[in-house]
Amino acid sequence: MRRTPTAVGAATAAGVALSLSACSGQTGADDGTLVVTDTMSATSAPVYEEIYDACAADLGLDVRANHVAGSGLIATVLQQASSQTLPDVLMLDNPDVQQIASSGALSPLGDYGITGAGLPQGVLDAGTYDGALYGITPVVNSIGLFYDARALAEAGVEPPTTWDELRTAAAELTTEDRYGIAFSATNSFEGTWQFLPFLWSNGAEEDDLASPEAVEALELVDALVEDGSASASVVNWSQNDVNDQFIAGNTAMMVNGPWNMPSLEAAEGLEYASVPLPVPAAGDTLEAPLGGEAFTVPDTGNPEKMAAAGAFVDCVTAGENQLTMATGRGAVPADSAVAAEAARQNPTIATFVDTVQTARARTALLGPDWPQAATQIYTAEQLALTDTESPAEALERVAAQD
Amino acid sequence: MSPTTTPRTLLSTALGIALLAFMLFPVYWMVNVSLQGGSTAASSTFFPTDITLDGYRTAIQDQTGNLLTSIVVALGAVVVSLAVATPAAYALSRFRLRGMGIFLFALLLAQMIPGIVIANSLYTLFNDLGLLNSYPGLILANATHGIPFAILIMSAFMRSIPPALTEAARVDGASHFRAFWSIIVPVSKNSLITAGLFCFLFAWSDFMFGLTLTTGADIKPVTLGIYDYLQGNVQSWGPVMATAVLSSVPAIVLLVLAQRYIAAGALGGAVK
Amino acid sequence: MTTTLAAGPRGAAAPPSSPPPTRRRARRRELTAQWLFLVPAIAYVLIFFGYPIVKNLVMGFQDYSVRTFVTGEAPWVGLANYAEVVSSGIFRTTVVNTALFTLGSIAGQFVIGLLFALFFKRRFPLNNVLRSLLLLPWLLPMIAGSAVWRWILDQDGGILNETLQGIGLIDDPIRWLTSPDIALVAVILVNVWVGIPFNMTLLYSGLQNIPDELYEAGALDGATGWKAFCYITWPNLRSVVNVVLVLGVIYTLKVLDIILGLTGGGPANATQTLATDSYRRSFQEFSFGTGAAVSNVLIVVSLVFAVVYLRANRRAEEE
Repeated sequence: MRRTPTAVGAATAAGVALSLSACSGQTGADDGTLVVTDTMSATSAPVYEEIYDACAADLGLDVRANHVAGSGLIATVLQQASSQTLPDVLMLDNPDVQQIASSGALSPLGDYGITGAGLPQGVLDAGTYDGALYGITPVVNSIGLFYDARALAEAGVEPPTTWDELRTAAAELTTEDRYGIAFSATNSFEGTWQFLPFLWSNGAEEDDLASPEAVEALELVDALVEDGSASASVVNWSQNDVNDQFIAGNTAMMVNGPWNMPSLEAAEGLEYASVPLPVPAAGDTLEAPLGGEAFTVPDTGNPEKMAAAGAFVDCVTAGENQLTMATGRGAVPADSAVAAEAARQNPTIATFVDTVQTARARTALLGPDWPQAATQIYTAEQLALTDTESPAEALERVAAQD
Repeated sequence: MSPTTTPRTLLSTALGIALLAFMLFPVYWMVNVSLQGGSTAASSTFFPTDITLDGYRTAIQDQTGNLLTSIVVALGAVVVSLAVATPAAYALSRFRLRGMGIFLFALLLAQMIPGIVIANSLYTLFNDLGLLNSYPGLILANATHGIPFAILIMSAFMRSIPPALTEAARVDGASHFRAFWSIIVPVSKNSLITAGLFCFLFAWSDFMFGLTLTTGADIKPVTLGIYDYLQGNVQSWGPVMATAVLSSVPAIVLLVLAQRYIAAGALGGAVK
Repeated sequence: MTTTLAAGPRGAAAPPSSPPPTRRRARRRELTAQWLFLVPAIAYVLIFFGYPIVKNLVMGFQDYSVRTFVTGEAPWVGLANYAEVVSSGIFRTTVVNTALFTLGSIAGQFVIGLLFALFFKRRFPLNNVLRSLLLLPWLLPMIAGSAVWRWILDQDGGILNETLQGIGLIDDPIRWLTSPDIALVAVILVNVWVGIPFNMTLLYSGLQNIPDELYEAGALDGATGWKAFCYITWPNLRSVVNVVLVLGVIYTLKVLDIILGLTGGGPANATQTLATDSYRRSFQEFSFGTGAAVSNVLIVVSLVFAVVYLRANRRAEEE
C-alpha cells in the first residue's frame, strides 16, 4: 500500500536530481558581446558606460554593462565563479583582487600586454598576486582631512599637520554645538580603512598589531573621543554618515575621501578645503590606504574572448579615460602624470593626488589573508573607543586571537 | 453591529490614535525626510519646512519599474504559495496519511533555515535551470517565505471545519478535489486571504533573493532599488525615503482592503 | 490505515461488499488522490528547503573558501570547523547575545502585541483603519527602516535623546547604539517594534474566534476583566499563542538585516548574534565552512526549542 507514495517520492527525487545536473551554459553571449560587471552607482554609471562604448567601438565589439551594488559583488562573483558564468571583464574592489586571483578565477593581465607602467607602487601592489598583475585600477582614492575653512578661520586655528596639532586643533574647534572632528570607526572594513593611515604612518604593520607603534596610533584616535573632540557615535558612523555630519555643520573637520566632493560642492554655504592627514611628527611620510576599483579579466576558458577583454581593459584604463572617470567621480587618476594634470585642472583634488602617490595597498603585505587582519583592526578600535578595554589591551587581545 | 459613538468609545479612538502615532513615528520621519530637499539626514528638521517633491520626482523616475517588478513578483508568490499550500493544508487537516507528522515537522524545520543559506543554494540551482534574472525564478524563490507559514495557519483553520460539510458531498460521489474546491475553499476564504496577505508582505519586503538571484538592471525589486541608492554614497536622502514611502503604498492599499477578512478570524472557527 | 472514504454514520450510499481486488484498487486510488494534495508542497519543500539544508550541513564539514567556488574542491575537515567556532573568542558572546535578543524580542513583541490585540477588540470608531495602519512597521523595507532608526537613536542629534532630555527624563544623552552595554537593548527595541504587527494580527485573529457567548456566560458568573482573561480568553487562545511563540522564536533567531543595518554586529560585538556571525564569517572572511557551521548551530538551537516547547505543551494540554 506504500507503493503509491514511494513512486511519487521517487519521481520527485529523480526530477530534482535531473534538474540539478542539467547544464545550460548560457549567460555571456557567444556573439562578440563583452559582458562587463562593475559596481558603479546610478550616478557614476553613465560616465563609465560612455567609455565602454567608445572602447568597444574601437575594437569592433559590442559591450553590455551590468551594474551590481558594491557590497553584493563578492557574493555574485563567487556564485558566478562556481557556475562558470563569470563576465568577460570584472570590476573588483582592489583589496579583493588578491583573494580572487589566488582562487584561480582570474587571468594575468600580462597576457594582454598590460604592464601597469606609470602607476604608483601601491596601485601595482594591490593588483599583483604571486608576482603577476591581475587587476589594474584606473582611478584611485584615499582619505584626507576635510575642514570647514570658515570655522577654522574664526577660531584662529591652522589646519593640523602633526598628531599633536590634530589633537589640539580638534579640541579648540569643539564648541557647544559642534565637534572638532569626525571619522568612521564602525564595526566593519570601513572602520579599518579609516584607521590605517594612523597605524601605518606611525610605522606599525598589520601583522604585528600589539606593537608599541600600533598602540600609539590607537591611543591617538581614542584620545580624540576621550577629549570630547569627536563624538562617541563614531563607532556607528559610516563615512557617509560622517559626511552628513560635516555638511550639517555638526563637526568642523572630518576624515573622508574625495568621492564626497560632489555632495560637498552641492552643499550651500559650505566653504570646505582639504589637507593630507596629519603624520605623527613633522617630516614623517603619510602612508594612507589606497582605494579604488580594479578591472580584471576572469579566466572564462575562451581565449579569443579573453584576448578581446584584455584589449578592452587596456583601452578603458588608458590615461585619457582615467581623467574622465576621475572628474566624473571625485577620484584621482592612477597614472602619476595624468594625476598631476588632474590636480592642475582641479586644485581641490590636489590633496588626494599627493596622498595617493605614497598610498599603500591593503593587501600588499598579507595578500589573501588581509580580511582577518582587517577584522582584528576594527575589533580593537571598537573595544578601545567604547571604553571596553584600553588601547594596549585591545590590541593585545586581538593579536592573541590569531 | 456598527460601533456606537459614545464618549467612551471616542476615548478609545483617541488612545488608538495616540498608540498609532507612537508606533508610526519612524514612518513619519521617513515621510518627513522624503519631503525635504536638504541633502543630509542630520540637517532634517522636525517638520518639513521647505516641502519639496524633488525626492518623489527622482524616486518615481528611477523606481517605477522596480515597483512594478516588486508587485508582479509578490503577487506571483501569493498565487504560487496559495496554489501549493492550500491543498496541502487541507490534506494535513483532514487526511491521515503516513508521514504527515514528518512533513509538518519538515515545514517547521524549513522555516528555521536562514534566508542567506537558501539564497546561496538556489543560485546554483537557478543558474542551471536558467531561472536567474527571471520573474518565475524570483516568484518561486519568494514563495519560500510564505508556503510553510501558509500551510501552518491554513491547516489550523481547516481543522476547525466540521467534517460533516465535506462528508455530505463525498457521500454523493464527489471526488476529494471537488469537495475541496467547491466547499473547503469558499469556507476558508478568510484564512486564504490572510495567508495570501502574509505571503504578499513577506515577498514584498524580500531583499535577500533580489540581491542574490538577479545580476543586472533588468529585473530588480524595489528593495534592491533602495539599496542601490544607499550604495552610491547617498547624496540626498530625499529620494531614498521617497522610494521607501512609495514602496509602502501598494502594501497599505492591500492591507486596508483585506483587513476585513483578517478581522473575521483566520485561524479557526467562525463557520457560521 | 485510515482513510476518509467512509460516508457518514448512516452510510446511506455505502457500497455493497465488493470483491477484494476492486476494493484494493479503490483504496489505492483514494490514497493517490489524497497524496496528490500534498505532492506539490512536498516537491517544493524538498527542492527549496531540503537541498539548501543538506548543502549547508555538508558545507559545515568542509573547508569551503573562495577557491572552492572556482575549482570545486572542498576538502573534508570533519569537525574542525565546529571546533574552531566553539573555541573562538566570540562564541560565548554570540550565544548569549542570541539568547538575550530572542528572549527580549519575543517578550516585548508578544506582550505588546497581545495588549494591542485586546485593545482593538473593543468597538470604537476608526478601529479597523487604525488596526490596518499599525501593520506599517512591518511593511517598510528594513534598509530604509534601519536608516531611520539610526537617526532616531543617534546619540547627539537623534530625536529620542532630544525628547527624553527635553522632558527631563535623562540628563546625559543615552548612547543607544554606541555603548556595548546598551546597544543590544536598542536593537531589541527596534526588533520589537518591527514584530508587534505580526503578533498583533495573529493574536487578534485568535481573539476573534472566541465566541462572545462564552464571555456573556462568564459575565453571568461574575467573571469579568482580569478573571475573564484568565479563565476564558487565555485558555481559548492557547493554540494561537503556541503558533505565535514558536514561529516568533524561529523567525527571531534568523534575524539578520535589522542588526546589520543598525550596528553591524557592534560595537565591539555587543550585538553579534549567531546569525550575524555566520554572515560575517561567510561573506567578510570568506570562510564558508565555519559560516555554515555557525548557521547549523543556529538551526539546531531552533529545532531543540521547537521540539521542547511543543512537547511540553502537548503534555500540558493532556493534563
